[in-house]
Amino acid sequence: MVAREEVLPVAKRAPKNKTLTRIWSFRYIYLFLAPALIWYLIFAYYPMYGILIAFKDFKYNLGILGSPWEGFRYFKQFLNDSSFYDVLRNTLSISALKLLFGFPAPLILALMLNTISNGKFKRIFQTISYLPHFVSWVVVVTLLQKILSPNVGLINDIREHMGLDPIFFMGNPNLFYPLVVLSDIWKGVGWGAIIYLAALTNIDPHLYEAAQIDGAGRWSTLFKITLPCLTPTIAILLIFSLSGILNAGFDQIYLMQTPATLSVSEILDTYVLKTGIQQGQFAYSTAIGLFKSVISLLLIVVVNKVSKRLSDTSLW
Amino acid sequence: MGVRKMSLPDRIYTTLNYTALLVFCVTALYPFIYFLALSFNDGYDAMKGGIYFLPRIYTLENYSKAFHNPLVLNSFFISVARTVTVTVLSVLLTAMLAYALSRKGLPGRKFIVFFFFFTTLFSGGLIPTFILYRQLHMLNTFSVLVLPSLYNFFNAIIMKTFFDGIPAGLTESAKIDGAGELSVFSRIILPLSLPVLATIALFVGVGTWNDWFTGQFFIQNEKLQPAATFLNKMISEASFESMTSSSGGSSIQNMNQAQMELRGVTPEALRMTFVIIITTPIICVYPFLQKYFVKGVLVGSLKE
Repeated sequence: MVAREEVLPVAKRAPKNKTLTRIWSFRYIYLFLAPALIWYLIFAYYPMYGILIAFKDFKYNLGILGSPWEGFRYFKQFLNDSSFYDVLRNTLSISALKLLFGFPAPLILALMLNTISNGKFKRIFQTISYLPHFVSWVVVVTLLQKILSPNVGLINDIREHMGLDPIFFMGNPNLFYPLVVLSDIWKGVGWGAIIYLAALTNIDPHLYEAAQIDGAGRWSTLFKITLPCLTPTIAILLIFSLSGILNAGFDQIYLMQTPATLSVSEILDTYVLKTGIQQGQFAYSTAIGLFKSVISLLLIVVVNKVSKRLSDTSLW
Repeated sequence: MGVRKMSLPDRIYTTLNYTALLVFCVTALYPFIYFLALSFNDGYDAMKGGIYFLPRIYTLENYSKAFHNPLVLNSFFISVARTVTVTVLSVLLTAMLAYALSRKGLPGRKFIVFFFFFTTLFSGGLIPTFILYRQLHMLNTFSVLVLPSLYNFFNAIIMKTFFDGIPAGLTESAKIDGAGELSVFSRIILPLSLPVLATIALFVGVGTWNDWFTGQFFIQNEKLQPAATFLNKMISEASFESMTSSSGGSSIQNMNQAQMELRGVTPEALRMTFVIIITTPIICVYPFLQKYFVKGVLVGSLKE
């Protein structure tokens, strides 16, 4: 069944078997699929095969298979390295803070937008709220650096007028997490609200009418009708967020970190990049990357299963 | 809800709601206005501070210098060439994939979907990908800016869902008239799917335009550097000015010094200008596709 569909009839003879007939009738569809299959084999599956170098002392001239085996040496190496635990702690801290403050933000924005009855205002608000989503993190970090710059940045410029000392925001480890969470919300909240807004328009208006007749106020309508109706949407988005807990946001963190904040800002992805591409420790870096990929895969499978059982919502 | 006459608490709530949303919109827009003002202001004058909304000493010198710099121009040329190539190819290839997946009764469909879906859950990671590019001799060539960005399975799902909504009668009657798969795809499916094609083109185009990573780590040749990477190198030079930065950006430094000598243009003013130039195409495009991409996001969020 599964293995057979790759058997494309090469010769132009009438197939005998029923399955083969069906496959033959779809031959042009397989041609439509062919570029994608080839691309995914090269750009997605070949790198998965390349994971083998995590267990090898990789040398370019020997190739992936030809390089000598090292077993779990590199895994032991990072598991015994205290800086790995700092990196892991930073990753989890940033993700947890983003989940705690960033996850509810689009929901709140959607609820606020939903109570606006003037369609024109609503559309203008929404259009503006999407803007930060469409610009690159490079641009966002440039904006942030200028606005927070100790050297005539917007905030410090205003502070100076008020007679206050300038603060070097981007170089202060204590301010790194708040800045990460705030800029993440700034960039993503409008875009994130799209899904909730659509779910809100799908709520049966009869429910609201009934609640109004029963004399329910704004808040009890929110907690008894609106939020329960949004639960499946919230659950799906939470699955995504939870399974991405080891990600923490590579682009943002890499671009925002400064040498002064490295102790709190180094995350798994930036660590993999630095040990791998910048220091050339291919096997070590791949081992850490694999650790991350496997945990993430397990997380999404488990979280999906739990969500299926609890709320009947799942990704697949 | 709207017909009811507003009570006092309602009125307070509405006022607070509008105020909060207004503040939020100002926060989203203001940084760009701030940069716009700075980009039109004399660079040395801007160092004194106090420019918030409008330029104080208006000048076009920053833009003129940016557009006359070969490195800046070249990076935009690369970005445009790359974005156009990737967008056109990706939309076409993704549509082909989506069309195949939307065909009912395709033998092996379940396995094929899993083959693609699995790659969204698990990947080889950075170093194996880097080694792949090296083995294929893609590093430092235009191909590394194009080939890896051609497919994204979520985009294929968005398109597939749209194709599923096209009445089967249309394609069937065409087939009875003797149309092959290719002509059904190009004469019926594609013309009827312009909204979703525009949405995916926007997603892919913006993603490619904004990608700084590929240029930063897989390209060393300055002639092949995309604009986003160039901007990033300009920033890192600024924030690590005091440090002995290891990243090779010597010619950017030279450029900055050369510009400095010209009155009125500072490296910082050039950065502000660069941000405005790189953001303008996006601001010009996305508002017009709003009603399409909103639908696209929703489809993408539904499960397969």
